[in-house]
Amino acid sequence: MYKYIWLVPLLPLLGAAINGLLGRKLRFSETVIGGIAVGSVALAFLISVVAVYSYGFGSHAQWPNPYLTSQDGFSFNWIPGGAVSINQGLHERSAVEAQKQAAERFAAMTPEERAQYQGVFVAGNTSPRYALLNIEWSYQLDPLSSIFMLVVTGVGLCIFIFATGYMHGETGFYRFFAYMGLFMFAMLVLVMGSNFLMMFVGWEGVGLCSYLLIGYYFDRQEAANASRKAFITNRVGDFGFALAIFGIIAVFGSAQYTEVFDQARAFPREPLGQWGVLSWIALGLFIGACGKSAQLPLHVWLPDAMAGPTPVSALIHAATMVTAGLYMVTRTNVIFQHSQTMLLVVALVGAATAIFAATIGITQNDIKKVLAYSTVSQLGFMFMACGVGAFVIAIFHVMTHAFFKALMFLGAGSVIHGMHHEQDMRRMGGLKKYMPYTYWTFFAGWLAICGIIPFSGFWSKDEILWNAASTTQIPLGWLIWLVGTIAAICTAFYMTRLMAMTFWGRERFLEAHAGGEADEAHASAYDKGLAPHDAVHPAAGDRPRHQPGEHVGPVHEDVAHHVTTHGHADEDHGHHHGAHIPHESPPSMWVPLVVLAILATIGGFVGVGPAFNFITGAEHPGGRLNIVNWLNPIIWDPATGDFKHAEGGHGEAAESHESAPVAASEHGSAPISHGFNLAHAVDNVVHSHLLTEWIFIIISLIAAGIGILLGFLFYVWRPALPNIWAQRLRPLYHASYNKYWVDEFYGWAITRRTMDAARAVFTFDFKIVDGIVNGLATVSRGFSRVVGGVDKYFVDGLVNTIGAFIVRLMSPLLRAAQTGLTQNYALVMVLGLMIAVAAFFARDIATALRNMFAAIM
Amino acid sequence: MLNSFIPILAFLFQEVVGNDRLAQMKHAATHPDLSKFLVIGALLFIIGVAGVLTRRNIIVIFMSIELILNAANLNFVAFSRYLQETGSVNALAGQIFTVFVIVVAAAEAAIGLGIVIALYRNKETIWVDEIDLLKW
Repeated sequence: MYKYIWLVPLLPLLGAAINGLLGRKLRFSETVIGGIAVGSVALAFLISVVAVYSYGFGSHAQWPNPYLTSQDGFSFNWIPGGAVSINQGLHERSAVEAQKQAAERFAAMTPEERAQYQGVFVAGNTSPRYALLNIEWSYQLDPLSSIFMLVVTGVGLCIFIFATGYMHGETGFYRFFAYMGLFMFAMLVLVMGSNFLMMFVGWEGVGLCSYLLIGYYFDRQEAANASRKAFITNRVGDFGFALAIFGIIAVFGSAQYTEVFDQARAFPREPLGQWGVLSWIALGLFIGACGKSAQLPLHVWLPDAMAGPTPVSALIHAATMVTAGLYMVTRTNVIFQHSQTMLLVVALVGAATAIFAATIGITQNDIKKVLAYSTVSQLGFMFMACGVGAFVIAIFHVMTHAFFKALMFLGAGSVIHGMHHEQDMRRMGGLKKYMPYTYWTFFAGWLAICGIIPFSGFWSKDEILWNAASTTQIPLGWLIWLVGTIAAICTAFYMTRLMAMTFWGRERFLEAHAGGEADEAHASAYDKGLAPHDAVHPAAGDRPRHQPGEHVGPVHEDVAHHVTTHGHADEDHGHHHGAHIPHESPPSMWVPLVVLAILATIGGFVGVGPAFNFITGAEHPGGRLNIVNWLNPIIWDPATGDFKHAEGGHGEAAESHESAPVAASEHGSAPISHGFNLAHAVDNVVHSHLLTEWIFIIISLIAAGIGILLGFLFYVWRPALPNIWAQRLRPLYHASYNKYWVDEFYGWAITRRTMDAARAVFTFDFKIVDGIVNGLATVSRGFSRVVGGVDKYFVDGLVNTIGAFIVRLMSPLLRAAQTGLTQNYALVMVLGLMIAVAAFFARDIATALRNMFAAIM
Repeated sequence: MLNSFIPILAFLFQEVVGNDRLAQMKHAATHPDLSKFLVIGALLFIIGVAGVLTRRNIIVIFMSIELILNAANLNFVAFSRYLQETGSVNALAGQIFTVFVIVVAAAEAAIGLGIVIALYRNKETIWVDEIDLLKW
């Protein structure tokens, strides 16, 4: 069955094409557009489920070997290349293997190709220096891509359904779903491609769709700016990614995953501080991942991306696209694990991002901004996991995060919808009563992200922290664990704050001007002289659907009476309730919430860790259904120098480092251990591996508890405390509230410098280049003036003099002939006639005259 | 008129050239051949041309043109007569042509006089040497 997976990306593309090309022309109704979009994604999801099931558990299951659609002919020759020089890849392998491969390729060639490449392959007998680069468009189904297929189509389906309710009444309904479908296509190409160039196509495709969707309300300056910011920031990362792809092709002579990793695993590991070729490739890849997944130097675009509609934020900027970086890093884990330096860099960047974004999230007031910084922080956690070598756990966290963060974004969308496009949490509160479905689903998401034990977030986050503490791949594991734990406390704190400000407490939307101060975006709009929209500040969210000047915020009853024209495109908004009492969202919105809430609650059970083996009876229970076992075959194991064994839970190598560093060292597989290892230290004290793990589990639970309790203390029990502490920690509060001034710094250090450079270049262009051109023009003008003078005075003079002379000579004669008197002309005619006759009869006349003379004489 | 002079001329010629010669001339005068007509036609033509070229009065020029036309008519008629004598098949064509020419000349005279009147109204002259509009 799984040979039909090429349909999975194609169906959303088809839906997008129908919606985008015909939606406007044929004036499809929202039902038709939504039906096409949701239907195509649902079908793709269905095919994915069937394909993954038959890939992993069917009667002809191919797991864990990657399946390429080219095996069944569902592929085409995309970029037929030629011979590429491979200076390093094959040299690193044994010469015998290289020769064998060259011989195989030669044997597989058609006679024409053979004639073309004969010299290359036969002459380079000892070490072939060329390979055939031939990139084909074929999809790959393997443990990693199957998980992403399911997450992208499954979570995507929920979000599509949600969006049909959320975007109801938008004029660009068809456009929205066309972009969303296009995004699904690009994302699926990204995760299902079988080579780096397909990944790059998907990579750029999702970047484009992200740009289009952030700028969905393109008539608003903030959205347009945010979309451009996202696109340009991603360009920086894509530059690194593109360089890495060039490097991969140059080194390995292929872009095919299977081929590249097969060669890469034979490379020597590059220890800390050594910058070999794989380190450079990994650096390029990681720069790309930083751009796409909003890691620290390049994170600035993601919070601004909240200017897009909320389903976009949920789908692209929380669940799928931003995890593309994780997908890429995990996909290339062979390369990353070969470079210990890059592993450390990944871990440190991830940890720094996690704590950095989490501290910003504490002070933000826009509900979507909080979630955006939370996403950045969680992505930092995932990179942390990659950096300490726990790639599987990173993907596990990608999955659980996709569930609970999509849930929370959609919940925020539901809140914004119910609050009539109010995003400022200071004007919310007490929504629990009005939006029960949203509240209870959000509640599940809250527990999940905080890491409370049965919820999905706990399993993945705890595994990340445990792997950080116990890593043997890189040094400084304890530091990363510490930072991660503090970030986890912050996470629990700001999510509790969000819950408290939104769903609990006083109903501040009933109070006039409850928010008090304007948002920074509101203020900046005011500063720029734009008319800031009442209550809905234009920077950070959805298009206000109200009439300009209409009072939308918290209102008194008398104000509400004045609001007679209610400019909602949405009919059931505002009319059924007088002042702006929030209302529960329609079923098309809360049903996906419920589905996602269930996933966020139980989704973690696919990755129950080894610490629970006294209950489950296995390190990773569930066989292939356990994500660790499912994914292990694509993870390169530095201990054995090969990919991990497939049969999870039973093979010894499968457990070697992922779960138990102590066990790994007992196996004598020579882990690279640097300095202080926290897990080892604890293990040495308690002398029980299991107990050590449980100590860390309890620590992470306590961290979550501390965060939640602090949140309750500050925002539920003692609501006066936040202001007091904001005053006491004023510098810190300001730094966090202003996002550590990173945007301002970039604006000063990069944007302004770029503009200065542009100005300098402009000056150069204006003064030098234009000067040269204009100077040439002046010179040629002077020259032409000289030539013109010669022409005018010499040539013309000559002509005029001679001409005038001739004319002066001839004109009296000719003038005299032209008397104007008819008789003169007639005379001339007669004379002419006579001359003509005389000439004609000249001989006769002569004869007559001669005769006459003769007669006379 | 010529016929009334003939006896006198015959007498004078008889005295000068003798009888035979006179008889010949008498025969020739009473039976003029083609050349006589052609000579007279040529003289008329030349008189007409001279009139056109020398006279200043536009009316006289018209009359001279009539002379030219009549010279042509005379030639037509002469050739017609000559052809009748020699028994040609289409001997009357010259006479018919003459009638045509006379009609055309009448029309031309009518139009020409109209033009002369219009000219006089504008220029107040019929002297052609005062009308040099062709120069412009």
